[in-house]
Formats: sequence, C-alpha cells, structure tokens
Amino acid sequence: MMDFTLNEEQLMFAETARQLFADMSGPDQWLEQMESGAARIEARWNAIAENGLGLLLLPEASGGMGLGELDFALIAEQAGYAALPDPLVESAGVAAPLLAAIDPEHPLLADPSVSIAIQHPQNPLVADADVAGGIILHRDGEAWLAAPDQVTLTPRESIDPFRRLFAVAWDTASATRLGQADWDLALDRGALFSAAQGLGLAQRAVDMAVDYAKDRQQFGKPIGTYQAVKHHLATAQVAIEFARPVVQAAAAELAHGDVQSRARVSHAKLVALEAADNAARISIQVHGAMGYSWEVDVHLFLKRALALTNSWGTPYFHRQRVAQRIFTQPTGPDQTFAREIEHA
Amino acid sequence: MKLGFSEAEEAFRAECAAWLQAQMTGEFADIRGIHTLTDMPERRKEWEQHLGKHGWGCIGWPRQWGGRDATLAEQVIFAEEYARSGAPGRINHIGIELAGPTILAFGTEEQKQRFLPDIAAGKTIFCQGFSEPNAGSDLASVRTKGRLESGEWVVNGQKIWTSLAHISDWIFVVARTEEGSKGPKGLTFLMMPLDQDGIEVRGIRQINGDAEFNETFFTDARCPADSLIGNIGDGWKIAMGLLAFERGVSTLGQQMGFRNELDAIIAAAKDNGAANDPLIRQRIAKAEIGLRLMRYGALRMLSNSDHSKIDGAALTYKIQWASWRRDLGELAMDVLGQAGEIAGGSAYEWGMLPNLFLFSRSDTIYGGTNQIQRNLIAERGLGMPREPRGDL
Repeated sequence: MMDFTLNEEQLMFAETARQLFADMSGPDQWLEQMESGAARIEARWNAIAENGLGLLLLPEASGGMGLGELDFALIAEQAGYAALPDPLVESAGVAAPLLAAIDPEHPLLADPSVSIAIQHPQNPLVADADVAGGIILHRDGEAWLAAPDQVTLTPRESIDPFRRLFAVAWDTASATRLGQADWDLALDRGALFSAAQGLGLAQRAVDMAVDYAKDRQQFGKPIGTYQAVKHHLATAQVAIEFARPVVQAAAAELAHGDVQSRARVSHAKLVALEAADNAARISIQVHGAMGYSWEVDVHLFLKRALALTNSWGTPYFHRQRVAQRIFTQPTGPDQTFAREIEHA
Repeated sequence: MKLGFSEAEEAFRAECAAWLQAQMTGEFADIRGIHTLTDMPERRKEWEQHLGKHGWGCIGWPRQWGGRDATLAEQVIFAEEYARSGAPGRINHIGIELAGPTILAFGTEEQKQRFLPDIAAGKTIFCQGFSEPNAGSDLASVRTKGRLESGEWVVNGQKIWTSLAHISDWIFVVARTEEGSKGPKGLTFLMMPLDQDGIEVRGIRQINGDAEFNETFFTDARCPADSLIGNIGDGWKIAMGLLAFERGVSTLGQQMGFRNELDAIIAAAKDNGAANDPLIRQRIAKAEIGLRLMRYGALRMLSNSDHSKIDGAALTYKIQWASWRRDLGELAMDVLGQAGEIAGGSAYEWGMLPNLFLFSRSDTIYGGTNQIQRNLIAERGLGMPREPRGDL
C-alpha cells in the first residue's frame, strides 16, 4: 500500500518553513512590501537561504540535500499559506534542479542566496527575472543562461501584486548555451509545486474566513453561527482535504516521468488550485465588503491562486494530460488504478 | 401573452439610441466605454448635466420634476440603449434611482422643490450613508447618532462603503436619534450636505485597485432641522422604502451591459482559441442561457400591469443576476488565461474583462449578500420561519 505518513525529517523542514514564513511573511510584511514596491525583503530572503530551504531538491553533488519532490512540496505548501512573495519555489524547486542536472558544479548553485529564474514554453513571462543571479532561457529545446543585464527585461504588471513578471528579449550572442534540458520534468515540478502552494493558499483563505466569522457580529451573533456562512467554509475545507493526498501522491511518483505520473501531477494541479480558487472566493464572500477591499489581504490569495492556475500549464492543458492517460492506457477491471495495484 | 415591446416602444428605443449614439460619438466620445465609476469625474459631472439638460437624466420621474413620466418599459429601453451606446456608468445613480424617488414618495413639497430639480439637472450628486462598520447585513444596528440642537441636527458617527462620497454633494444618512433605542426603532433619515467641516471622507481601495468606496466620518456634522425625510423615528421605514426602489426598475436595464460583457468574452474566446475548449464552449452557452433567462424574467415583470407585484419577483432577481455575473467574471478569466492577469500598463489598471472578474466579487455582497437574499426569498417570499437572529 501507499504510505501517506510523513517522516520526522519531512515534518521538521515543513515546520521550519512554517515558522519562518509565519514570522516574516504576514500582513505587516505584505503591506510593507506593497508600499515600498521592493523586489524582496532582504532579511527574509537571507533567512530562507540560511535555513537551507532552497537546498532540499538539489543533488548532493551541487551542495544540496538530494531530497525528493515530496519533501519540497511541503515547503511549497507553507509558501502558499504565507503568500510568500519571494521566488523560493520556482528557483529552488524548478530552476536550480534543472541547472544542476546539466552542470552540477555550476557556480550559480554554490550560493543559496542567489535565486535563479526560469523561462518555460508554458510560461511566456518570467517571474522575478530582475533579481535573479541568472535566467534559464529556452530555445529549440535547449537551455541557455543569461544574467539579467544581458537580456532586455520589460516589466508586466501582474494581477497578483507580488508576482513580478517580465517579458524577456534576448539573443544567443549574449547568453551561454547549457545544452539539452529536461523541460518536461521542469513542467511537472512547476505544476506540482504550484499545486502544493494551492493547498496552502486554500487553507489560509479558509483559516482567515473562520477567524473572521468567529469575530464578526451581525444580528447580535458571530456570523459563523449562521449555516449560510459555515456551510460555505465546510465545503471549502472538504475540497482541501481531498486535494492534499492527490498532491502528495503526485509528488511521491513524479520521478517516474511516464504517462501515469504526468496525469497524476496534472490531477494534483487541477484539484489543488480549484480548491484554492474556491476557498479564496468563499473567503471573500464570508468577509463581505471587507473581503472586497484591498487592505484585508484575502484578495492576495484569490490572485495568487489565479496566477498559479495559469502558470505551468493551464487547466485545459492539464485536463488533456489526464485524458491522454485515460485514452492511451489499457482499460478493464485488471487495469483499474493500475499503479496502485502494481505497488500493492 | 404578449412578448416584446410595442411599436411605440420600439420608436422610443430608436429615439434613445440615436440621441445617445450622437453624444457618444460626438461631444462625449472621450468618456465612452469607461468601465469604472471613478475615472474622469469632472467630465462625467458634465455628462450628468448634459443628460439633464436634454431631459434624459431621470426619465421615470414626473414631468413636473424634470422627468418624462416614462413607463417602466420605456425606462428599461432607455437603460438598455444607454449601455449599448457605451455611455459610462451613471455617477448620479444614487440620486436618480434612490434619493429622488424617496423624496418623491416621502418628502414634503418644500423638499421636493429644494432637491428634485437639481438632481434631475445633474447638478446635485447624492451618495448613500447606510452601512456602518458594525451594520452591514444587520443594517438596523446603526450607531451613528443624531440629535436636535438649536434648530439643527448634529450628527456623530461613521458610515462605510459610501460609494462616490468623494465626488458627491449630498449624503442621506440613517442615524439613531432616540437615545438608547435598538434595531429599527428610533432611527431618522437625514439629508446632509457633504461639504462641511464636520464630515471627513477617506477612500477605501478595492481589490481591483480602484477606490470607489469611502469611509465617511461625522464629527458634529450639521444640517438644518427640516432635513429629515418623514418623521423623527421613521428612518427604518424610509430606508426600506428606498431599498425597494433599489430592487425595482433600476436593476432591469443592466442586461444590455451584461450583453456587452458576454459579447466581449465570446470575441476573446474566438480570438485566442479558447472557444475550441469544449468546457469553455459549454460555459459560454450556459452564460448565454442565463442571460436570456434574466431577459425573459424582466419582460415578464414588465408585462405585468400591476407594478406593485414587481417587488415580489424582484426579490429573486438580485441573487440571480449577481451570481450570473460573478460566474461570468470567472469565465472571462478562464477564457483570457495568462493574458487576463497582465495589466495594460505599469499601473494596477484593468481592462473590461479582468475588471469584470474583480468587480463582480462585490456583486454578491453589496445591496444584500447572496446569503441575505436567500433568507429574504425564504422568509418573505415563501413565508418560512425566521432564522434566529440575536434578540431583536
């Protein structure tokens, strides 16, 4: 049978991330960063680096810990819960492992406080390209690397106030050729960690609404007393609980890189971000007009969920991957839940 | 049974359309297609006055007060042609649809003469002082206090979500004027000029980056003793009468605006290939069906010669259109994909469809949340027992 329990080490890293983000990526810091317009809060980014959160997926040959996708998914979930503005997930979860697979001793990998941005055919715009130590670029299936000052970056205002997107114009003369890269694996990781962030986004949206519904009084009672309110939140929580094991199973089997594992990643991305989107929408409704105002923060979760829904493959793309498994794999009673049977 | 409009009504439609079209391609072409309520306020005040000057400001009002005695059907036709022409949202919506009809129904002759001509002429912009930080769905729990003092009302407290207070001239305020009263008792409906030391207006930024709402603070704010509508203690009755106007005719003309939004989504889906996604096609078809559902609902209401029955049907209308439009906003973003998440320039300013997505989150909240609407339908419409709500 599959084992969904997490080991001590996994729980420890997740707890480290949770605590760090709770201290350094909350309402005060969101406000501070939105007002200053700064790319990042240096103290927070340094703390992330010092705690080694960026090293989990890197192979030991690159100075990393050589852990797996499930380990990093737990960190990504916490990043979602904190609406973390920093590029930890894409840099350490997608870009750095891709670079390490090509050149384990690349100098960019030596300093964990240096972020790496990544362009992917599924994502026309590049997140946090201006503050990256290097940008991994895509051309005809090959990977290239350039520093931000070697390319032309045009900022594009995202609906998510913390998602700093850029259009990148570049030519091969001012970039370094890295060679063939596993773009499919990058996509799977990007999609999986988006899904993991979705779980965190969803849970935070529900938690905020639960707190508000306990506190906000109308008609002489906390609004959470009314079934019209509490049923909404119960529905949101149900979706989260069912999405979580899908994300974990997708993480555990991502390395297979076959039609089954890809479909599972797609499944995870669809359900986790639907849960996040739904939870954020419900949370806004429960907050009433406060939820529609900028200062109450719930909108950050709606907007991050939206941004991640369309990054690393749209819902259409991922539904097609699920359909591909259905229509290309043998069917019949002996094939039902094939991977689970094989592992039983 | 007779569906649709009469020949005379269609002639009226042609007249509205021709006039609006001429304005929106001529003198007021610069404000055509604005989809927020806050852009270019000065030009829009000029537009309100232009409408008033040509007798289009408040066609449903009596001729005596600057209207046209327009029938319900004509009002709907005008609202439809208004949206079709691309004319911007009415910044004096509150004055025309709520304050004016309330004064007409409950005001004194002197008050009618004082307020109605200037509202009709687009010279007096009104905003609504109902909600407070602790009185939202539970509107009757307002705490803003009013007292009579040497021939003046003196008002202290705070209102919130006052749309367009920052560009308005007057505000109507539901204030607690009987010390120690609770709930709907002891409230009085006051009309107050905004331009005075005792009133401070602070903008509230919304999730779409716009700031249409405000907090409005009253610190010994004043208005003359005869500024109340109805009698002292009648505030709740007047406020409920006003909200019935809000649920009535004024919502029926919106469908042309909805049509514009759905058409923009269909065009975008054809353009970017989203129309090839079977799920998107299904949702667009569903949106189209929902729009026509509302259309026939409106026509049915209009065909009922007993207008007093409209309020009952209108009870179900708010939740229907609000939920439909919120779904439409979500469909818009799913059609646009990543392109919908990028603003046109470097500022946090959004085109019609992303703004529809963000703005429509409020449709199911303002003017009675969906949850409150369902309670109203069940309790007032179906006569079901009231849910326990505190001790009132």
